[in-house]
Amino acid sequence: MLRSYLKIAWKVLMRRKFFTFISLFGVSFTLMILLVVMAIFDHAVGAAAPLKRVDRMLFVNTMRHQMADGHGWMSNPVSAHFVDDYVRKMKTPEKVGVTTVSSNATAFTKSKLLPLDLAYTDGDFWQIMDYEFLGGRAFTGAEVTQAQHVCVINEATARAYFGTTDVVGRAIEIDLKRYRVAGVVRNVSAAQIYAYADVWVPYTLNPQYTKDSRLNGEFLVVLLAPSVAAVPAVSAEYQQMMKRVPIPQPKEVKAIYSYADPIVPGVTRAVFSTNDPSLHNDNLTKFYALVGGLALLFMLLPVLNLVNLNVTRILERSGEIGVRKAFGAAGSDLVGQFLVENLVLALVGGLLGLGLAAGALALVNEAHPVAYAHFSLSWSVFGWGMVLTLVFGLMSGVYPAWKMSRLNPVAALRGSGEQK
Amino acid sequence: MLRHLFTLIWNRKRANLLLISEVFFSFVVLFGVGAVLITVGKNYLAPRGFESTQVWRLLVRAGQNQKMPRAELDDVLRQVKALPGVQTVALTSGNLPFTFNTNNSDFVYKGRKTPFYANTYDADDRYGEAMRLHLREGRWFQPVDDGTHHRPVVISQDLREFLFGDEPALGKIFTYAGAGKETKPEDEFQVVGVADNVRMESDFSAAIPSVWKRLVPYDTTHWETAAVLVRVAPGQGGALQEKIARTVAGVTRQWTTEVRVMEDDRLHRRLFTLVPVVGLCLMGLFLIINVALGLFGVLWYNISQRRAEIGLRRAMGATGAGIGAQFLGEMMVVTTFGVVLGGLLAAQFPLLHAFDLPAQPYLLAIAAAAGAVYFITALCAWQPSRLAAAIQPAVALREE
Repeated sequence: MLRSYLKIAWKVLMRRKFFTFISLFGVSFTLMILLVVMAIFDHAVGAAAPLKRVDRMLFVNTMRHQMADGHGWMSNPVSAHFVDDYVRKMKTPEKVGVTTVSSNATAFTKSKLLPLDLAYTDGDFWQIMDYEFLGGRAFTGAEVTQAQHVCVINEATARAYFGTTDVVGRAIEIDLKRYRVAGVVRNVSAAQIYAYADVWVPYTLNPQYTKDSRLNGEFLVVLLAPSVAAVPAVSAEYQQMMKRVPIPQPKEVKAIYSYADPIVPGVTRAVFSTNDPSLHNDNLTKFYALVGGLALLFMLLPVLNLVNLNVTRILERSGEIGVRKAFGAAGSDLVGQFLVENLVLALVGGLLGLGLAAGALALVNEAHPVAYAHFSLSWSVFGWGMVLTLVFGLMSGVYPAWKMSRLNPVAALRGSGEQK
Repeated sequence: MLRHLFTLIWNRKRANLLLISEVFFSFVVLFGVGAVLITVGKNYLAPRGFESTQVWRLLVRAGQNQKMPRAELDDVLRQVKALPGVQTVALTSGNLPFTFNTNNSDFVYKGRKTPFYANTYDADDRYGEAMRLHLREGRWFQPVDDGTHHRPVVISQDLREFLFGDEPALGKIFTYAGAGKETKPEDEFQVVGVADNVRMESDFSAAIPSVWKRLVPYDTTHWETAAVLVRVAPGQGGALQEKIARTVAGVTRQWTTEVRVMEDDRLHRRLFTLVPVVGLCLMGLFLIINVALGLFGVLWYNISQRRAEIGLRRAMGATGAGIGAQFLGEMMVVTTFGVVLGGLLAAQFPLLHAFDLPAQPYLLAIAAAAGAVYFITALCAWQPSRLAAAIQPAVALREE
């Protein structure tokens, strides 16, 4: 049965090539755009070096102070003091690492200014992240404690400053301070905000970072849970720990909030919880609903177009439908047949779209919109693409199929295409 | 004729519903893209109000919670100014052009409170020269302002128009909107000059009312970060940048320095608008092509389905041109239904002042979207209509 449906589907596709072209164009381009967007999203939050174990990682982005008397909010990353006194004493995380949001630094090469993004980290950070080293090694916890002037630089910096990547042990002058290069890593995409920098140095080299006794400071915390299953436990322990943190200046500050979240909820909490009411809610569902809604909205116009075309094509085939009905085919048979035809079309369009998306991503990569980013289609994106294709096929096939099943056989046989 | 067409379409409204909704959504998409393009384009063409070429920004940071004494900072500025190739050095606040930092506030004059937030900048006596601001009235800050009781300010033309209207502005005193009865003298702002409107955010943003507050030379405020504008002679490059960095380091090794070219900031900032806008345009273009192809296919098919009707009408004496016009007309009526529906939705934007934008770009976008939709549907209907017009009555009727 299905085989004959498929055969018919193929014959129908080949009969009116212009119509088939229009349908395929709509399906494939819509999917291409959605796939490109998803590939970019996947690139920013998915598991890829150096965040290979992203499903076991939790991130602390901010410490939010709710000021007394409705004086608003103050949000900052956390301080080294807070990390040392509270976060590092947690039981469930396997490792606790810190890094800063990269800040601007400058190096000068033979009278050329080399702008660099510099991040301060501790030793554990390098054990949580899986950087690919081209040479040398990361700096160790001991080197951080002793505040040695060592650094890790990326490939691009090594090439721009020294002209080669074989530079382990050599000295580099950044912001007019000298560092010894401990290791050279492969370039990290600027879209991976927790891992990106051009140069990494021990955080103990910045005296302001360690002297501070406030809760808010400069640091992003990366926690590694012992297993994927232990992630909620780490998050829960962090909440327990926050309850023990005394509020600084209780006269001015009403309450403090901070969360350890996996990567996506961490972002959605920051984006959607600008004010109090939903603070305890990470708004992940809201985010996915919003994104899903936008994707459906975007698919709406191509789907409408396809529905329109399909309705037209059914009328064209009213003779065939009339004959089948006259020979006793039930409405459901016809609906099934038409849905199969439509899914075949969507599937072909989906595969084309996948190819187009790969091409578009190659073009995007060529243009280097984000420093060192290389977008690619992963298996998860491919899977989602196929799901979207099916949704697309069903969305555009249901109404025409229903319409088809309701054609009056007598009128249909006459071929006039009139509907009841 | 026209009424007849409307009745025809209305009678077949169920069959035409899909087409109408397609036109409706196309209109909405075109309106959205059009509104963005018109707003962005209009801003881009407006004058910028200052000159950013050959201006560098120099950030001197003492570090968090570390303050730099003003005397030492002045020493740094003096030495930088003395470097060959440096023309002017001006001290300002961190909200430099084309960066993502903003300082703003609302102000009040004689009970008239600004409904918008005006950007506020700290500026020393050299700032006007470094940025090449164009003054319409009054003058820039001068050492004679040292003795004034109130804080001297220069305001932009748009703020002047709002606060003072047609009255003279020079010498007038206004305050922060939140100020109570007992205002400190330094929070009372006395206008000494009016400058042209400035667009400091990005190439594509609208002018924002601005206030430049005078930084007094003996200001004892302690700074964590000093933002400095350096106007250099044409043709200066990396060598001078390094010299500036080393000069600052020569005064104190504790501070970090960042020297950047403002034109680079401008080009960098411009991407943040260009990339989404280009993406939006591409998506809009794709959707419209998609719809256009679909409409073309449907119309083409519809007309081939109505051959019998056409043959009959030709036999009754209708001309080919008349038939073609009828099909084109039918499509235009369908389009009108879609456009009217879309127009009703789009009209809410200027009525509700959505996104705090003026009504004009929205109205232009509605007009442009309507024009584009009519053009596209006409284009799609044209070829099928010609086919219909060319049908010979004898052939068509024989088939039946």
